[in-house]
This record gives sequence, C-alpha cells and structure tokens, in this order.
Amino acid sequence: MFRFENVSQHPLKELNFKIGKNEKVILFGPSGAGKSTLLFLFNRLSDPEEGQIYFKDKPIGEYPITELRKKVGLLLQSPNLFPGTVLDNLKYGPSLFGEWEDKQAKQLLEYVQLPSSYVDREVDQLSGGEQQRVSLARTLANSPEVLLLDEPTSALDNRTAEEIEEVLEYLIHEHQLTMLMVTHNMKQAKRLGDRGIFLMDGAIQEDGKIPDMLDHPETEALSKFLEK
Amino acid sequence: MSPEISNQSLLFLIVFVIVPLTLSYFYQLGMNKSILWSSIRGTVQLFAIGYILTYLFDLPAQVGIPLMVGIMLIIATFHARQKGKELPYILPVIFLGLLTVEASVLTMWLVFDMVQFTPSEVIPMSGMVIGNSMVAMGLALERMKSEFQENNGRLLAALSLGAEPKQASHLIVKRTLNAALIPNVDRIKTIGLVQLPGMMTGLILGGVEPVMAIKYQLVISLSIFSSVSISAMIVTLAMYRYFFNEHKQLLESMEDIKKQSEH
Repeated sequence: MFRFENVSQHPLKELNFKIGKNEKVILFGPSGAGKSTLLFLFNRLSDPEEGQIYFKDKPIGEYPITELRKKVGLLLQSPNLFPGTVLDNLKYGPSLFGEWEDKQAKQLLEYVQLPSSYVDREVDQLSGGEQQRVSLARTLANSPEVLLLDEPTSALDNRTAEEIEEVLEYLIHEHQLTMLMVTHNMKQAKRLGDRGIFLMDGAIQEDGKIPDMLDHPETEALSKFLEK
Repeated sequence: MSPEISNQSLLFLIVFVIVPLTLSYFYQLGMNKSILWSSIRGTVQLFAIGYILTYLFDLPAQVGIPLMVGIMLIIATFHARQKGKELPYILPVIFLGLLTVEASVLTMWLVFDMVQFTPSEVIPMSGMVIGNSMVAMGLALERMKSEFQENNGRLLAALSLGAEPKQASHLIVKRTLNAALIPNVDRIKTIGLVQLPGMMTGLILGGVEPVMAIKYQLVISLSIFSSVSISAMIVTLAMYRYFFNEHKQLLESMEDIKKQSEH
C-alpha cells in the first residue's frame, strides 16, 4: 500500500519501509521521535524534505492532494469538531466531493455506536468520548482505505478510551482498513495492532510483529522503552 | 456662537496630566516618562495639525483634499501593516483596501450630496473613515492570526477530509468578520444613549443645531460602519491563503509564513 524510500523530514532520517494492505501498524516511541511527523506524511499534511513515498506503487505526489486525503483518513488526538450539529460534521467530507446523502448519517452513527437521534445534536453538547466518536464517524464518512490515528484516545479517561478502542477494533476488522496508529498505550497496541514500528531519534529501531516484539524485544532500546 | 478657549485657560489642562502622573508615582507604575511624553507629543501634534489644517482649508479643494487624504492613507497603511508584517503583499493590500474604501465612501457622499467637496468637510470626515478602517484592518489581521493558531486542529481535520484551503478557512474568515462587526453593531445600537458621539458633540459645541449635528453624525457613523466591514473583509479574504503553501498544507508558524513569502 505504502512504500517509503530514503524519506527524511526532521527529525526523521532516511526511512525505508513498506506497509501492506490491511496491515494494522502501531507507531510508537518516546516523545520527539517523529511519530506524528511520520503520520502526516501519509496524507500529505506535510511533505518530506528528501526521499520518495509511494502509494499503491505510484509516487504520492501524483495523486490530486484532496483525492489522496479522502482515501487516507486521519483521526487526531482531540475531536476538532466543526461548530454546528453532528450532521454538519458527518457530511463535511463527502459534501466536498458532492457525495453526501442524509441517509448515510444513521449508518455512520451505528458504526461508532451512537444512537441515530444524535444526528441533530449540537456538538458542543456532547461529552468528550461522544465527540471523539463523531470525529471518527466524520473520518469514516469519506470511506477511506487507510486510517491514520494520532493518539486517538490519549485525551480521554480510561473507560471512555476503552470504549473507543472497542469501536475501532470492530471497524478496522469489519472494513478491512489499513491502519497506522500512534499510541503510547501498549495495551492498546496489543489489542489493535498486528505490526509495530518502534521509532527513536528519528529512525526505526525495531520493526516486528505484535505482540511478539513487545513481549520479546530484540534491541536494548526497545526493552528500556517498555520498562518505563 | 463659536466656542473660544483662551491660552491661559488651556494652561490649566496641566492638572489633567498631573493626576495620572501622581497615580503612576504613588503606585510605582513606572509610567511617568510615557505619560509626560505622550501628553507633550499629543499637544504638539494637535497644534501642528491645527496649523496644517488651516493651511489646507485655504487651498483649492482639488489640491488640498487629494494631498491630505493621500498622506492619511500612507500613514494608515504603514500603521496597520504592523499587525501583519509577516504576511506577503501586506503593504499593497492594505493600501489598495483603504483607497477603495475611501474612494467609494467619498463617491457616495458627493453623489448624494451629503458632504460638500471642500477641505473643511471632506478632510476631517475622511480622516474618521480612514482611521477606523485602519484599526479594523489591524484588528482583523490580529484576529485572523490568533484564529489560525487556535483552530490548528480543526484546520488539519478539514484539510485531511479533503477540503481546499479556502473551504478549510471558511470558519476562520467567518469568525474574523464576526469579530470585526460586533463592536460596530453594538456602537450603533447605543449611539446617543450612552455617550454623544464625538463629531456630534463637536458640532453642537460649535453652535450647530442638534438635529443638524445628528444628520452629520448619521452620515459619518454609517459610513464608518460600512467602511469597517469592507476593510475587515478585504484583508481577511486577501490574506487567509498565505497561511497555506501550494500543496494545500497548513503552515505551522508565522516564521514559516514569512519564509514562504520570501521565496
């Protein structure tokens, strides 16, 4: 699905790796390792200083940017909902491409396990967890092939975080999505991921299967990181 | 009846300067110097402008008006620019914006015979229009910058959903314009109730009938209202695009915007 060739973007240095279709990849590592920087390269919210990224064997720059971003959805740490109702948010993405029909709302809310009566609620009346669900549904409304998740539960309390995790687990398996997730939560990594990429000092220190790499780290750097 | 303040009476104004000066001294506000300096500077500036205006009012309108309005436009442009120094093309955008506003307002006044084309009418009224527009542009620029910072996550979310920079900034443009208009709506709503507007007060002191003074005040208040809206709209719509690069990516900081504009 993705191929990185000698990609550098401060603090990342000469990254080379591939991500296959339907892989569930967890990006983790200490703060400042470049995890979010890396995530933003996949949907061109930023571009590398050097190197080339391929999406489905074509250089990522050859896709019209808005089309690419539609295919590669992103969910951030905070919901970042737009002022207005739940419906306003859900239809935002598809409306940009003239693809929205109001009946989709019910299905989307079902995906994220919210009652369909929520459709007309003002988003500032929702709890943090509900807002993050709406945010996820908004991303899914574009029917992405790839889902980028930047610490999607770190702003939530434990219980709410677990609920969102559950929703995510169901969705990525149900929809056969390729997923790239940045997380600090190793329990979450084990639950949602099947491959781990451990980043430190702008480089990939270890790349392996989950849970194996977390249970039996090969490098000293990763063992030390997991002990903390 | 024209009001007359003698120079001796004027000297006693020093009392009004001593009050804040004493306050600053007792509470150690450290503002003694700036209070003194601003009072002296203000006095000198006002007297200077008094003599300049007397000179301009004696010139033929075709010379005096363009001369003074031109100077006001240039000073206002450089002043409003301070709030958006990092942005490319800020100087021409502000200058052309102010020029457009002033030209359209002046045309309205003259065509509908609200104001006579004489320096003593056009210059002070244009000054009010240009001054308020200048402030509105500065505020709009500041507001836009802070909205871009505050809504970083929302902008990223919109872009990542496939929005063009124009679509993603819609919310920011809306909020910036809203912020520019609200104080003016409020001002018009309470006009005459809370305080008598400056121009009307001046005319009444100058011996003009209150109803006549109100007519002038209406002309200037509504002209300012409309100028301020147009000014805020012009800078906002001209400038939002420079917060993105050509790859529809949001520029993270004002330094990035500056770098981008130097390319």
